[in-house]
Amino acid sequence: MANDLLAAAALFWIAAGIVALIGRSPGLARAALASGGIAAIVAAVATLPGDTHAVTLPLRMAGEQSGFRMSPEALWLMASGLIPAVLACLLGSPAPRGQAGWCFGAASCLLGALGVFGLDHGGFFLVAWEMMSLGGAVMILSEELAPETGTPVLFMLGMLEIGTVAILVAFLLLAGAAGGLGFAGFARVGPTLAVGARVAVGVLLVLGFGAKLGLLPFYEWFPGAYGAGSGATGALMSGVVLNAAFFGMSRGLLAWLPGAGPGGAAGLGVFVVAIAVLSAVLAVLYAFQQEDWRCLLSFSSAENAAIAVTALGAAIIFRADGLPDLAGLAWTVALIHLAGHALAKGCLFLTADGVRAATGGYLIRHSLLARRSSWIFGLGALFAAMSLAAMPPQAGFVSEWYVFQTLFQGFHLPNLAGRLTLALAGAGLALTAAVAFATFVKVFGIGLLGRGNHQSGRVGAGTVGAVGLLGFSVIALAAGMPAWLSSLVGATILQFGVDSPARMRDGWLLVPLTAKFAFISPSKLVIVMPLLALLPIALLLFGRRHEVRRVPVWYGGANRDVERTATTALTFSNALRTFYSFIYRPTIETTRETTGREYFVRRLSFSHDVAPLFGPTLFAPAIRLVTAAADRMRLLQSGHLNFYLGLIGLLLVVILGLALI
Amino acid sequence: MKGARWRHLAQGDLRASARELLATGGRMQMAYAWTPPDGAPELRYVATPGDDAAFMVWQCKLTADPPSLAAIWPLLGWYEREITDLYGIRFTEHPEPIRLLLHEDIPPPFRPMPERGPSVRLHPGTPEAGTLPELLAPDVQALPFGPVRADVVESAKFTFLYVGEQILHYVPDLFYKHRGMELRFRGVSAERGAILAERVSGVGSIAHCLAYCQALEAASDCEIPRRARWLRVILAELERVYNHLHYLGHLCNTTTLKVGEAQGKLLEEQAKQINARLTGSRFLRSILIPGGLRRDLAPEGWLTDRLEEVRAQSAAYVERLEASESHLDRLITTGHLSDRVAFEQGATGPIQRASGADRDLRRDHPYAAYAELPLTVPVLPDGDAYARHRVRVAELDSSIAVIQRALLLLERGEVRVPCRPPPGAEGLGWTESPRGSLFYAVHVGADATLARVKIKSPSFSNWRVFPFTVHETNMMDYAINEASFGLTVAGCAR
Amino acid sequence: MALWTLVGLAQGKATTAWPKHGADGQEGVLGMPRYQEAACREGCSECAAICPTGAIRAAADGRRVELDYGRCVVCQLCTEACPTGAMEPSGDWAFGVRRREDLRTAETAAPRPQTAPRSAGRKPFRRSLHVRHVDSGSCNGCESELQALYNPFYNLHRFGIFFTPSPRFADLLLVTGPVTSAMQAPLRTTYEAMPQPRWVMAAGTCAVSGGIAEGGYACGHGLDGVLPVDLYLPGCPPNPAALIEALLLFLDRAPQRVTGGRIGQ
Repeated sequence: MANDLLAAAALFWIAAGIVALIGRSPGLARAALASGGIAAIVAAVATLPGDTHAVTLPLRMAGEQSGFRMSPEALWLMASGLIPAVLACLLGSPAPRGQAGWCFGAASCLLGALGVFGLDHGGFFLVAWEMMSLGGAVMILSEELAPETGTPVLFMLGMLEIGTVAILVAFLLLAGAAGGLGFAGFARVGPTLAVGARVAVGVLLVLGFGAKLGLLPFYEWFPGAYGAGSGATGALMSGVVLNAAFFGMSRGLLAWLPGAGPGGAAGLGVFVVAIAVLSAVLAVLYAFQQEDWRCLLSFSSAENAAIAVTALGAAIIFRADGLPDLAGLAWTVALIHLAGHALAKGCLFLTADGVRAATGGYLIRHSLLARRSSWIFGLGALFAAMSLAAMPPQAGFVSEWYVFQTLFQGFHLPNLAGRLTLALAGAGLALTAAVAFATFVKVFGIGLLGRGNHQSGRVGAGTVGAVGLLGFSVIALAAGMPAWLSSLVGATILQFGVDSPARMRDGWLLVPLTAKFAFISPSKLVIVMPLLALLPIALLLFGRRHEVRRVPVWYGGANRDVERTATTALTFSNALRTFYSFIYRPTIETTRETTGREYFVRRLSFSHDVAPLFGPTLFAPAIRLVTAAADRMRLLQSGHLNFYLGLIGLLLVVILGLALI
Repeated sequence: MKGARWRHLAQGDLRASARELLATGGRMQMAYAWTPPDGAPELRYVATPGDDAAFMVWQCKLTADPPSLAAIWPLLGWYEREITDLYGIRFTEHPEPIRLLLHEDIPPPFRPMPERGPSVRLHPGTPEAGTLPELLAPDVQALPFGPVRADVVESAKFTFLYVGEQILHYVPDLFYKHRGMELRFRGVSAERGAILAERVSGVGSIAHCLAYCQALEAASDCEIPRRARWLRVILAELERVYNHLHYLGHLCNTTTLKVGEAQGKLLEEQAKQINARLTGSRFLRSILIPGGLRRDLAPEGWLTDRLEEVRAQSAAYVERLEASESHLDRLITTGHLSDRVAFEQGATGPIQRASGADRDLRRDHPYAAYAELPLTVPVLPDGDAYARHRVRVAELDSSIAVIQRALLLLERGEVRVPCRPPPGAEGLGWTESPRGSLFYAVHVGADATLARVKIKSPSFSNWRVFPFTVHETNMMDYAINEASFGLTVAGCAR
Repeated sequence: MALWTLVGLAQGKATTAWPKHGADGQEGVLGMPRYQEAACREGCSECAAICPTGAIRAAADGRRVELDYGRCVVCQLCTEACPTGAMEPSGDWAFGVRRREDLRTAETAAPRPQTAPRSAGRKPFRRSLHVRHVDSGSCNGCESELQALYNPFYNLHRFGIFFTPSPRFADLLLVTGPVTSAMQAPLRTTYEAMPQPRWVMAAGTCAVSGGIAEGGYACGHGLDGVLPVDLYLPGCPPNPAALIEALLLFLDRAPQRVTGGRIGQ
């Protein structure tokens, strides 16, 4: 039945794409997109913790057919990514134009993601992968929200193509040994590869999938591309697409390159952890400095993906050193982290669309929307922001708690390198968590709670409902974690042969995995920490006896000027910008217009920025190289008809020559 | 005007004269307006000519709106705004047509009768004092601080345009405390005027009262007795001693050197107790009067020893300060004031001397008994908080030396002569207060009471300069920088 | 830093034990003039004529003068002008009172009946009082003396009295200055920002009556009519010991020395 539902989902999405192409009814296309999403979610819920039956698709590529089978982790990641996607599709892009194009892009994106999750043939996989990437580009381009969407989208596609080429090369290396592009063959030959080849394949896979996940240096396409699109686009790209990319990386590293020999796999794990932790730290540092909802959230997506990849790296290290139960723990943690992230991030991306509807832009400004719109909107966004800030009792707290627990279990490892890596990773992620906390305080505090005089309109009822639903699903994920964990049993048993999720819970309590290393249960924390709220409640109750007198903010006795004296997004984050100036390399420019002498300032203008880390050092030289090469190749575009005819003739001769051979 | 050279200027010559003063190396000191009993308001400018001879007073009868000289002498910007507030006289092409002293839109309090003078008019709708520049950046936060600020401090409102730690622009509004002290002298006898002058700025009681007395003594050609002149030196330097000790203690407070703060403040307390024992007032009040001293003082026999104790302790204290790296680190390079800004905006006293200007009224235009004393004037070129600190440290040392020397040279004798200013007389008096140059211009009315008293306090000058050391610096240095200037608000707001 | 601590410790205790015993640090300080009615010459009003703040008025019967210590700026002009020595310089500075009338000499020489201290609400604050200071236009003499309260000699903390940065946790609003028109609104806002119960102290002659700066285009007449005042302390400026005495008086830890314009012991 699951396969039928998934087929229905695919058909719905194809239909949506066709409807969008005809361009008649974007509403119908959106409905089809959402229906497909719901069908796929139902399929996942019905199947988990098991997997779907393998079917062979009636398509051929280079004489090979691809099977289609959804593993439990794929179902889990797809379902959690699709929940915000369904809501985003129902609401559609808020852009005034390009609805049809957006629906077509979304359909392509979702179909591609389905393929990435289910296909088990390298060729088909790459087609699906490209559909997913191009779908995202189509969504952003058709929205035309920013005046200049072409360059960032081109940059995004460029980065993603680098990734695709890396994946292609890795596939070719594996296929060379396996004699075909089937994934079953990859898994068979992976362990038999020479150490050098195995490392090469591993690095290529990290590079390839990392381009989409936003590992360093690739996270730098995130703000440009996300910042050119809408929140709905972001909800898709940070949800189901990101999850699909993680799934691809996880399968590649775990299934095709299991740690057969000593050193090799653990080394790969160390590499993955190092890259991921660095990415997380850098991405969250940049996230904190953003003043645009979408750019901030996109950097945060890169950070969360990097946290999941850190856990994946830990899983690789643990398995290589013969600790499958800990590997299972790490991997399960990555899965629940991504699920919580998809829901919370989707929620905030849709909140960003609400902010745009109310204030006319995506800038993080004082809008007081938490009060001016429905309480459901504010509460939903609060839950999501709390989750991304890893605050109890939200899903993000539970998963990050487990991430840290996993990393602290590193002392079980026999070798120093692994222990050291995980200890340092713990430190790196602690910094990440702290900055992420500040980041979401900024987003929620200034963006939604901030009381300024900026005029703001209403948030649409649909957005309110979607944000509320996603916000509550975040807390539902956290509260029902013991139940959700049981749906991951199948995944870990298939992957590592142990039932880690079962050991992560005790009835309705989440518990530490090992008895050897004590930890407080996050459930207990979640229960106990709200108890602290009893203190203010008690004070409030006792204080009832006295009359409460309310007076305005004091402001040093002067008149209040809320608009100008409120903390701005920049003042909130500038201290860190100063402290980490060696990373940010901030630029500040102040110009003073004066009357007569320099002392009499009439007008003050101010601009500021932070410099990207890899843009000037890595990408700009690369772009210069390509441009220089293109300059050389300009000869080919001489504009002389005879030269072109000559080229065609030469080509014909070459083809003839090849045919003769 | 007695005590200064005189020059009549037609309104049309103002700009040319201002430029000429600048070109010949002179300095503008202050400007004020006053309305003689017979007619139209006139402007007075007090300047030091380039040859450093006696002060020069320009008198300019108004025939129309006078031109603003702020473009030539930026320091005049505030004086002109003050004149606009108090007299309703507008300056043409003023770069900052904003109210300065008054927070309410009230009629100019010094305004003469409406029929007198063609240029007199109200100025409704002038932007309020403390108006910020127009801001073209939504990211910048305006951070208001005051007028009621943390700690026991004087009221003033500071607004920072800031972007988190970094200050882009700083606008102080220092006139919440404006009491209209200058108008209070009107119709008051010379004797009572001294009580008022003592209460313009409490910690500058002697400096204010001495400048006031000297202005009246100049107006009445009164030669005060020798003993009074020497005692005045002792009093003026005692004031410097307790103010500078307070300064050092307070500076330690801002660099969180807590024991250093306590020791500085304890030394200040000792100095104040010495003041009380000598004069009956911890602020050296109720002792000066035009014509000398109200009563004789008896410093003989004990003051030398008490001061030597203070000197020894403060010398050890300063030595420890100089050895405290955490303290010096916060001072060095903080709040840099260039010599150009210091000159153009009229910085004075230790602030100016720490920015390289070798000027001290006690030596350059001596009064009381300073002409007979060798005076060391510390000058440093650096212009940072540390330089301001070091200049004050050196002055503290030199002050105590001056007192000790004066005590040696002090002779018995009269301390007071009658001082009756003739009707219509005018006089200019000045002192080098602990915070810098202080001027009193006094006009005596027909009934021998005071008709107009203009007070130019050093804090008025130095507050004008201060913001230019704050723009584009950071918040952490602000309190240290402010303390390193050692300003008072009362003297500025009057 | 360590060096500073050692040096500080080596210097020993600088704090006076006053008011229990020991020096109050006000040796030689001249206070309010003491009026010896018996020495007053009939028809003479030299002191009233010279007083810059109108603190002395000739009484209706012409045989004596009436004093309002709430207006006295301690300038000593009257003591110098008095031909008979009826206005005597003195060291009386402990002029903190709960009622404004206590600063005026009564029409009749008989002292007013002492009102019972309104200590009911203040009791919990006896050993812990938080004070927010507001300068409403002083000459900074009062601030200088208030700042001196924190120096090691007086060490106000030993009484459990602290200055707070915010009125939000202040019990007593200590106001100096004659209340300039620009400071009226900030002063009221600060008072409004205080939690109840809250009290107000007028410190210095300016805050009590306007003092030397009373009236004019920019000043008021002190705190009366602006805020309800619970404690008056004239002085120009009141010295640190006077401030401590007044604060202790407010907390019912020291007696009120002045009643009916006369200082007792």
